[in-house]
Amino acid sequence: MMKKIFALPMLLALVGGCAPMPYWTLTDNDNRVLKSSSFEMSVPAGWTRTTTADTFEQIKVDEKPQTLLLEQVAASRDGLSIHAITVTRRYPDTAFPTIKKKSRANMLPLEAADLYVSELRKRYGLERLRVVSNKPAQINGKPGFELVMEFKNDDGLRIRIVSNGFVDKTGFYTINYRAPVLYFYDRDYNDYAKLVRSFRQSKGAFDPPPEIPGWAKLFT
Amino acid sequence: MSKVFGILLLSLVAGGCATTGDVTAFKDASDTSKLQESEGRLWHEARGFDTTIERSGQIYEDGRATAYLQGVMDRLYPEFKGKIHVHLYDSTQLNAFALPNGSIYFNIGLLARIGNEAQLAAVLGHEAAHFIEKHSFRQRVSAKNASAFAVSGIPFASLAAVSSISGFSRDLESEADMKGYARLVKAGYDPHEAHKAFEQLAKEVKALGIEELYFFSSHPKLVERIDAFKELAAKQKSGGRVGMEDYNQVVQPIRVEALRKDLGQDRYKSVILVMEDTNLRRYYPAAGYYYLGEAYIRRDEKNDSQKALQAFQTAEKLAPKFAPTYKSLGMHYMKAGNKGTAREYFNKYLTLASKDAGDRAYVQQYISSLK
Repeated sequence: MMKKIFALPMLLALVGGCAPMPYWTLTDNDNRVLKSSSFEMSVPAGWTRTTTADTFEQIKVDEKPQTLLLEQVAASRDGLSIHAITVTRRYPDTAFPTIKKKSRANMLPLEAADLYVSELRKRYGLERLRVVSNKPAQINGKPGFELVMEFKNDDGLRIRIVSNGFVDKTGFYTINYRAPVLYFYDRDYNDYAKLVRSFRQSKGAFDPPPEIPGWAKLFT
Repeated sequence: MSKVFGILLLSLVAGGCATTGDVTAFKDASDTSKLQESEGRLWHEARGFDTTIERSGQIYEDGRATAYLQGVMDRLYPEFKGKIHVHLYDSTQLNAFALPNGSIYFNIGLLARIGNEAQLAAVLGHEAAHFIEKHSFRQRVSAKNASAFAVSGIPFASLAAVSSISGFSRDLESEADMKGYARLVKAGYDPHEAHKAFEQLAKEVKALGIEELYFFSSHPKLVERIDAFKELAAKQKSGGRVGMEDYNQVVQPIRVEALRKDLGQDRYKSVILVMEDTNLRRYYPAAGYYYLGEAYIRRDEKNDSQKALQAFQTAEKLAPKFAPTYKSLGMHYMKAGNKGTAREYFNKYLTLASKDAGDRAYVQQYISSLK
């Protein structure tokens, strides 16, 4: 009997130890770092953030599904369907995947911004994405762009996307904030701007790209 | 027993396939108020589609061009004035489609490629015929399509299946061709222009390897259609309204806009195809050479950098007040290390570009870096 009682907490402890970390966590003053192996930044308190980075995505290129390597983390205050901050690093060979363009270390920010807009316009629902403004920006001390874009969803709601991005020899980085113009965009823009200012590249950015997990390739 | 079952099954199948006979075409506008219940439901769906298109910003706002297209439609079908509504659809894909409630959507991409009013009338005549002959309703009442709707979970998929968005059966398309063509002739347009629009489209489909949903569906059907129009035109005398000047006055700004949008969606092949074709290029304003240069840069094949420079230089010569050319020339010379010339072009860009031009700040930054 004693053995059984002892075994139960042991089992619970083991199971608990093996339980996967939750994908989302609520941030507070001690829990604000949003990071991947290539970069990290600070999320405002009261937001939720992903705890691990996505390392690949499945997209359609010329109607054919493909699995691509990337690093992507996200944060949201009210839920992804309402608004979200998404930080993405794409590798040079697949920097602009749907338009099949690579990034180059010497690419001018304006060139990268133009390609990025074309890339987004290939995505479903963003075909009529309108550029509101496009100006130079500095991200982590590197020359980049700040694009402000808008589209209307099927309900006629105006959605705005602001994107800060830059290119270096390790790939193409974007920090995006998407929210309805009505109420949400202005309310949280300052939080987004703070997050952009806190963006730092990590040493891992200069490591060679990892392999796509075998199971992820099954989707393509 | 099995015989009885077989006869029952056969009668069900035959019954499902033979329900289109009692659908009669609209004779005039007053007919459209006498809809069967199921037809009314189809109209209701179409109105929902109209609303979604409008509120999601898919209508291309150009009052003058829309009124012009509506005028051509009313000339073709005067008895349906006020019941057929033509809209410009903000897409550069080569397409036009009709909804069962008389809404006709004409993509600006297709409008940009057509050469004159008679060719436009050929397309409008065809699309309106789908509405007047109730092709959507006829397609819906067939059992084959009814079962297709049941498995579809895509919004408006059922409507798409019975509208010219995804094309009708070959018989219905041929009927629309014939009815549309008859109207073209009756309205006094030159019948020898009808096939030319489709010839250009067929050429483009082939050159670009387009596989997407496309005006009048697939390439072989398009070729058959061209032959049919040529045969019909051979029986008619030459002459009639062509309307090239009126058409080009209205459509010219849309052509530049279509090039800009094509490039913005990375459809650079389409821009190159149009601007390298001397027949098509004559319809486009000189600023088109700027877009050709940008398209070569996007394509980035051997010698494309040199081709881009030549295109920019042509644009500079033929459209000297078109600001974007100077930015592109500046970037070309900046990359080539020719700082002085790059600065000159960038300064010219800043002089000509509007005060709120999106990329002013970049150009100012480039000028600073070249000092």
